[in-house]
Amino acid sequence: MKFKMKQLVNILLIAFFLGLSSFSKAQGDKVEALRVSFISKRLELTSAEAEKFWPVYNEYNDKIKAIRKNLRQSFRKIPENITEKEAEELYVLDIKSRQAETDLHKQYSEKIKGIIGVKKLIKLRNAEEDFKRQIINSIKEKNE
Amino acid sequence: MLITLSAVFLFLNQSKAQSAFDSLKIKMAKHYFQTVIVMDGYRKPNQEIKDTSNISKRLKSYGVNQFIFSLNTPIATIDRFSKDSSIRKNTHILLTANYMRLQPVFDGIPTHNLVKLGIGGRMIINTGKKAVWFIDVSPFVTKDVTYPSAPYFRMASTIVYSHNVNDRFNWRIGITKSFLWGNRYYLPFIGLRFGRLDKTNISIQFPRSININLPVNRKLQFSIYTKPQGGMFNFSNHDSIYFFPDSKTFHFTRYEINTGFRADVRVNSWFNFYIATGFSTKNNITFYSERANPSKSASGYRVYFYDKDFAPTMFFNAGLVLKFGKTRSFYNDKNLYDAIDLNNTIGGGDNNISNGNTQILIPSKQKQQEYNLKSVQDLIDYNDF
Repeated sequence: MKFKMKQLVNILLIAFFLGLSSFSKAQGDKVEALRVSFISKRLELTSAEAEKFWPVYNEYNDKIKAIRKNLRQSFRKIPENITEKEAEELYVLDIKSRQAETDLHKQYSEKIKGIIGVKKLIKLRNAEEDFKRQIINSIKEKNE
Repeated sequence: MLITLSAVFLFLNQSKAQSAFDSLKIKMAKHYFQTVIVMDGYRKPNQEIKDTSNISKRLKSYGVNQFIFSLNTPIATIDRFSKDSSIRKNTHILLTANYMRLQPVFDGIPTHNLVKLGIGGRMIINTGKKAVWFIDVSPFVTKDVTYPSAPYFRMASTIVYSHNVNDRFNWRIGITKSFLWGNRYYLPFIGLRFGRLDKTNISIQFPRSININLPVNRKLQFSIYTKPQGGMFNFSNHDSIYFFPDSKTFHFTRYEINTGFRADVRVNSWFNFYIATGFSTKNNITFYSERANPSKSASGYRVYFYDKDFAPTMFFNAGLVLKFGKTRSFYNDKNLYDAIDLNNTIGGGDNNISNGNTQILIPSKQKQQEYNLKSVQDLIDYNDF
């Protein structure tokens, strides 16, 4: 019985420390959940539309976020004494990334338009902008 | 003509966008499923065996300690779109590995550690429309590791067709070969779910479980459930319980129906834990001899030399769930939610434990102070400020 108690205490301790150490990682998920809820409410998709829309929209967002993350991480690595070659590489990456974003935006807008129609596509863009604005205002208020 | 031209235009546009994206050489997540590890502990206190048969007198009492380690990892994901690019279909191949150590605790004899070890595979096919197919093969070996016994190979398997009428209603039909009910059974699989998987729902999945899931918030979910638990294990005849002295091993089977209350705490995207308690009813144990069941390769075992029912008792259950690996997004994707639910409902290795569907995000209500710049940096552009 003593052995069992020891096992239980060990498990609870592991759970506690894992929980504690991972507290900060939860933020990203929270924002995603909020964004999805926000867009869902604003778009008012029918069941048939939602069935096709979300897989396509998720894929689009994954790609856009990956491009931005890649660009951000590359720029963060800039050394103080950046060489001409390194600067040129970053410049090309910046241009390519923005071009890829634009191309993806066009490609997926066409797909989404085919699924939910142009009116709801405009509603979607509007909802995305409103959500971003809320985030920015929230961060600004927090920092004031 | 116009349709053809539109299709050509769309195709050219797609390939241009894809090649622009590919030129950046960004590594994307391959799978929709995370690697999930579950460590589950279960305990049921000892109950006195009161009848006067020889074996009952030898055993004196019965209780259960159980530990399960379960691993579930994606191996391959094949993703494709329909011809008109509007429907995304995918096929997922997963590897499952399971270890169970069962201690049936009889006060009259030394404790035996019965181990069940299995490596299996499963395939989940999302047709992109209403249907998801699930195929699971879980071969495993059981052995009494405390005293000499020969290992015994068995195989559990399940095939299920799952139909998502909409995100609030789902039905499933299939067949399962399972040992959960204390024997080898081929049972129909019949499932019904009312309510969204990320909200309050009632899920009836015969013969695996009946659940009422009540998400409280993004972090906490309560469930009221009932499910069978059990299996067939090899048991060494070290204590000469079976009267044939040259029989070194016999089959020990158990089943019970656990009905209780469970709390799942979602700490973050890679860790959660659960605790559960309730009543264990329909408790039964049986000892089957191999000798008396020699030619029953396909049907259930029929001849036993000990069979005992027990009164209901309390049980305690707790588990840790670790999830690894980045996944592609699948928010509000009802078929992928269903695929994840199938993968969790039908736990690998025929052990019937669930990790609590925590890969499915619960929608949350907005509060102003919830954002920081780090959490939204890939969502907004510098021009937005």
